[in-house]
Amino acid sequence: MHPAPSIILFTVLSGFGFGLISIIGLLQFLNQISTVDIVIFSVIGLFFSIIGLISSFFHLANKKNAIKSMSQWQTSWLSREAISSIFCLSIVVGNIGWVFVQNRYFNEVGIILFLLSLFTIFTTSMIYAQLKTVPSWNNMLTPALFTFTALAGGSILLLDYASLVLLLIFAVLQVLFWYIADQSFIYKETSVGTALGFSKNEDIRAFDVAHTNRNYLLNEMVYKVARKHAIKIRYISFFAAFVLPMLLILMFPSNFSVSVFVIGIHFVGIYFSRWLFFAEAKHSVSFYYN
Amino acid sequence: MTKLPKCEDKKLGLLIDLDTCVGCHGCVVSCKEWNSSGDEKQLSDINSHQKDPVGTFLNRVHSYERENSCTNEAETFYFPRSCLHCEDAPCVTVCPTGASYKREEDGIVLVNEDDCMGCGLCAWACPYGARELDLVSGVMKKCTLCVDRIYSEELPPEDRVPVCVKSCPTGARAFGDFNDPNSDVSKKVKERGGVDLMPEMQTKPVNKYLLPRIKSKDSVSSVGSVVEEETDATGLLGWVDRALSKF
Repeated sequence: MHPAPSIILFTVLSGFGFGLISIIGLLQFLNQISTVDIVIFSVIGLFFSIIGLISSFFHLANKKNAIKSMSQWQTSWLSREAISSIFCLSIVVGNIGWVFVQNRYFNEVGIILFLLSLFTIFTTSMIYAQLKTVPSWNNMLTPALFTFTALAGGSILLLDYASLVLLLIFAVLQVLFWYIADQSFIYKETSVGTALGFSKNEDIRAFDVAHTNRNYLLNEMVYKVARKHAIKIRYISFFAAFVLPMLLILMFPSNFSVSVFVIGIHFVGIYFSRWLFFAEAKHSVSFYYN
Repeated sequence: MTKLPKCEDKKLGLLIDLDTCVGCHGCVVSCKEWNSSGDEKQLSDINSHQKDPVGTFLNRVHSYERENSCTNEAETFYFPRSCLHCEDAPCVTVCPTGASYKREEDGIVLVNEDDCMGCGLCAWACPYGARELDLVSGVMKKCTLCVDRIYSEELPPEDRVPVCVKSCPTGARAFGDFNDPNSDVSKKVKERGGVDLMPEMQTKPVNKYLLPRIKSKDSVSSVGSVVEEETDATGLLGWVDRALSKF
């Protein structure tokens, strides 16, 4: 699949923003956070979530109809994502205002924020996980990976050693996701044979393509990456998203400026991870171009 | 709404005979012509008469060869690919704006371009690559089953079929109601064993394909055997063979 920068930035930045908001919500529910921290970190979370959503807006080819994306919540995960994120961010804004003016907070609002931001991250992941056409996305590892990526990133600023646990879960899920995506059984059902109505193992080869130039389908869904670099990029991603943050947090716990630096490195790693998430994914339409 | 209707009345679709298709791209050209003519219809091309032209099509014809396990020879066939108007159309349910929909009265899957925001998710959800985003208008394009022809009051009755069916010079494409067991397309599907594409995707396509008939060992003689000497001929041919062999 085409790794569009607008979509990668959207999932990375809004994922981090909603991850941070869910951690704030959890701490608010448990009475473990000061009112000042709620305001500061909620503003940071809000900032990243909104930048992410704006980035996704740039992916749209017909932006004037974007508002209509809130209408199909009954069937569409993308619609649920749009509604859930706007709803969650409205509560964040309300919470910031209330805490800022009153200098106290409701624990109940914390649990609502925690659950709603987790649900938003889940809806984002389901946009991809629902697609039967991309078998490496079409399993529950995708929501698990998206959720723990967001939680791990969001926890770096607010939690000390607890963030290490979340980073570790993220790292395990990430490695598992790459491992599963590499397995041939992922594509066990579809072949050029089934794509053309024959049996799975029919010996068929394309001898001429259907068009003289590249087109939308090829650009979007038969995206060819330099797979020889994929493994190297995985190492870079894993090192930046997990290993370095882990070491830095262990060496400098509770150091805010180090945390900000760690977030920066972590972003680079997650960006590469998402780039691979799209670039390595194989869509069933590619079988027509065998 | 992007909820899928039952479509208990009619299931209109195409039956494509790969045994008959000669890969002339006539359906592609006529489809492009019909669906880009008129004030509101656009299937855009970029750099159409220059280097690297790119365009939007609702129908494309691929070419394949397959190994005949009986004769060990390659056989070629052509494969027109377009929207299958699936009963469980995944492209419809993923649509966030409600632009994609499946008509209850005849099962045709359409895009309401006034609602489409061009996110492209429906194209990702379609296993068959049947949807293409128009790069000029920024909205999703797909086969309409020529909904503006089949119900037209102005066109003569014999023209009220999708233009790809009308234009096919070999009659490889048929249009009809797959819900009606007595329709021509249903009878042909039953008689010749019409198949679904990628049944594992559970989309329940309405369009069916008739696969190329497998040639038997006797029906094909390899190029080599034609020029080989016929030694076991009997009767008159045998006499001619023997007589001519003397010189």
